[in-house]
Amino acid sequence: MIAEFTERYRRAVNDPDLRPRLLAFQRSWRESRDAQVALLEQRTERSFDELRRDFAEVKDATLDRIDDYIAEFRANAEAAGATVVELTTAEEAVEYIAGVCKARGIDLVVKSKSMVSEEIELNDELAERGITAIETDLGEWLLQLAEQRPSHLVMPAIHQKRQYVAEILGEELGREFDPDDIPAMVASAREGLRRHYLAAGTGLTGANALVAETGSIMVVTNEGNMRLATSLPDVHFVTAGIEKLIPTWADAERQLQLLPRSATAQTLSTYTTCITGAQPGKEMHIILLDNGRREMRLDDTIGAALRCIRCGACANVCPPYQVVGGHTFGHIYTGAIGLVNTAFHHDVEAAAGPQGLCVSCGACETVCPVAIPLPRQILQIRRRTTESGHAPRWERWLLRAWSAPQLFRAAMKLGAVASTLARAVGLVRRDHIRLPLPRRLNWRSIPAIPSQTGSDLIDNRQPQPTLESTPASGTTVDLFAQCLANRLMPDTVDASARLIEAGGANVNVPPNQHCCGLPAFDAGDWETARRMARAAIDALSRADHRIVTPATSCVISMRDHWPQLFRDEPQTLSRANAVADRVHDLAAWLDGPGRLPDGCLEQEESGSWTAHRFCQSSNRGEPGARIDLLVERLTGETSLPLEEAEVCCGFGGLTSIAAPEVGEGIIERKLECIMASGCETLLTNNPGCALHLRAGAVARGASHNTQHYADFLASRLPDDPPS
Amino acid sequence: MISASDRTSRFQESLVAAQGEIAYLDSWDELWDFAASLGDDTPVVSPAAHGFLRRGDLPDAEDPLRSIADRSVGITVAALGVAETGSLLLVERAPVDRAVSLLTRHLVIAVGQDDIVDELAEGFRWLADQPRAAAYATFVTGPSRTADIERSLTIGVQGPSRLTAAVLT
Ligand code: SF4
Repeated sequence: MIAEFTERYRRAVNDPDLRPRLLAFQRSWRESRDAQVALLEQRTERSFDELRRDFAEVKDATLDRIDDYIAEFRANAEAAGATVVELTTAEEAVEYIAGVCKARGIDLVVKSKSMVSEEIELNDELAERGITAIETDLGEWLLQLAEQRPSHLVMPAIHQKRQYVAEILGEELGREFDPDDIPAMVASAREGLRRHYLAAGTGLTGANALVAETGSIMVVTNEGNMRLATSLPDVHFVTAGIEKLIPTWADAERQLQLLPRSATAQTLSTYTTCITGAQPGKEMHIILLDNGRREMRLDDTIGAALRCIRCGACANVCPPYQVVGGHTFGHIYTGAIGLVNTAFHHDVEAAAGPQGLCVSCGACETVCPVAIPLPRQILQIRRRTTESGHAPRWERWLLRAWSAPQLFRAAMKLGAVASTLARAVGLVRRDHIRLPLPRRLNWRSIPAIPSQTGSDLIDNRQPQPTLESTPASGTTVDLFAQCLANRLMPDTVDASARLIEAGGANVNVPPNQHCCGLPAFDAGDWETARRMARAAIDALSRADHRIVTPATSCVISMRDHWPQLFRDEPQTLSRANAVADRVHDLAAWLDGPGRLPDGCLEQEESGSWTAHRFCQSSNRGEPGARIDLLVERLTGETSLPLEEAEVCCGFGGLTSIAAPEVGEGIIERKLECIMASGCETLLTNNPGCALHLRAGAVARGASHNTQHYADFLASRLPDDPPS
Repeated sequence: MISASDRTSRFQESLVAAQGEIAYLDSWDELWDFAASLGDDTPVVSPAAHGFLRRGDLPDAEDPLRSIADRSVGITVAALGVAETGSLLLVERAPVDRAVSLLTRHLVIAVGQDDIVDELAEGFRWLADQPRAAAYATFVTGPSRTADIERSLTIGVQGPSRLTAAVLT
């Protein structure tokens, strides 16, 4: 039985050892994986992206003709003496395995790692039928002894600490283990498992690939347990999802270029075993399981998830995974892919809990060796869980208020008045209100709301004189101020306008612009998102000026989310596309149509800076993502190096509200890197991130300032530009 | 064309990176003496290696695994080596063929220098052409290992804890 999500979440955030352990794991994996991938690129003279797209094509082509490949596989495997069965549901698979065991009088199964057997909860099911299953992979065995489940696709016991391992091994083997003597604990597996191998009537394995041209299975392992489990017992079961089919051995080799490097950062795992058919005098049963896979393939957004080769890389770069681990970030399948396929292999209910933990940073997609668009898929599943009523009530109310401009404006005005009062009584420091917040929330301060909006500021001042003429000189640019920035960061909105004006363009702030719909889209509430997006499209369609915004996330929303939202509304879609085509991220603008020349801004002697680069645009390789390079180019100053500059700051839309511990855990990692850089000023490029990073730094008492790069650049505009 | 010696040194580099060891030997006689010096008891020898060596203990045909479990040194022979990864391809159709590589503590795998190929892809091409070999074939890359307890890399779990490629020159 898997505990309720809220219970799993609570356990995870209360485990003090989990975060540091997973952080160390993620960092070391990243380093060795990157080195491995660089070597691969060098050897093949092809980029990781080309290599993964090639293999993804192989997977897609196979999946599109899956029944042909199954038929080919079956014919070859059966000719070699195997029995191949195609089964639709988890229950059928369990019954089949139990039936064969019963018929042969087998009551002990030794298992090598198989995610499909986890998926169908085989161990529990067999136990109910009087058959014992023993895991033989060391990590899985330890978890079985502890009555736990894998928390990672490749490193199942990554959440476990050695003291606990020593304890459970001691109980199983009846002697003491020194928690610091890991080799001795590892060696005990040999003794602890040997008798099971010798007594078992059957060995069960998974398969990393099913090779159609010869009817073979390919399995990669490091310990050697899989070879033992298939050598001693007389019956060999293979449980595999139908998506494991590949046409040829050449394809298997391509998979191997990507799999071990992505999984454990190895060139090749220790054992790559190929088995074709039953061994002399033995039986082999290959179970090809559907369990939601064909349905998944039919879904045009989710279908690509079937390319997955279960390498676990998507968890290894996932910031919320680092905070809560796989028991919470996922169901039986963990990490980003678990947030997608759980809805199909299990149900929407099981998929719902962890949805709110994903911060949509997009890191998973950058390392996925089969280029699965995981972030987009997760949002699609979130939409389903939200529509089936799994979103918290406060979230629905918040979005409702947000989506009504009047209500939003009224709430903000009220906040501004309260902020002024707070300022008067000395409750505001560093532009944040000092309120005693509960422990769960006190890692982030509350920003004071300024009394004027960004558009107010622009209306009531003289335009910035032209600094240099640019291709945009003399044209009018519509500024999309963004709902958050306009209210909470008015100076940034004004600074953005001044930078555009410095390039000779006129700035117009179209009225009635509010929100692009991103917060609702992220929360899976597409109805509300559509309403907000339509209003933004109306506001931005009055003229056909180019549009510039300091809100990087909204550019992505317009270009990427709007087409999804209006897929079935051709007219709105074409208007949406027309707006999205005109929109520019400010940083990209300052390098593009409104390009200001190198070194045109004043240098300041004092003040070292570095830049946190908005994760989403960095991970998608959007133009303008490298704000550090832009600022260096315009000011001639050099950025301080920042570790993990593109790792999410933890704002993540509503995540930091729904799961405050996740927001806290992620910003802690971020602030540590920032503080280690020794910067006086931290620059960033998305208003949400700027607000979040500033509020986090203030709460923590960090000494650096946090600025949107537009503020930083505008403050360096010369007072008396050449006329 | 990559020269044979370049290929061998690349093989060595990859194997050592995978915590394997390497020895260059002139003949099967030399190989036997080398293996025998590694442990206290007589090496056990896979049926394939026995064809060349004509000495050493063979696993018991009836109960091959139990008969040699945890013997200190085993000798077997690879169909080919892969320079790119430091892997050795073992073709072991029946459990009796596999016993030595599964359960001895220090495994010596003989491979002809001329049987080392450049890339894993060639290894797979070879396998695709040999349906009989693919009945049960394993690319072995170094000694068995795990990092399941606190990610601490530990060599020698359920398979051999030392692996030496004996390259026959
Ligand atoms: S989704 Fe991609 S990164 Fe995640 S486990 Fe599957 S193949 Fe690996």
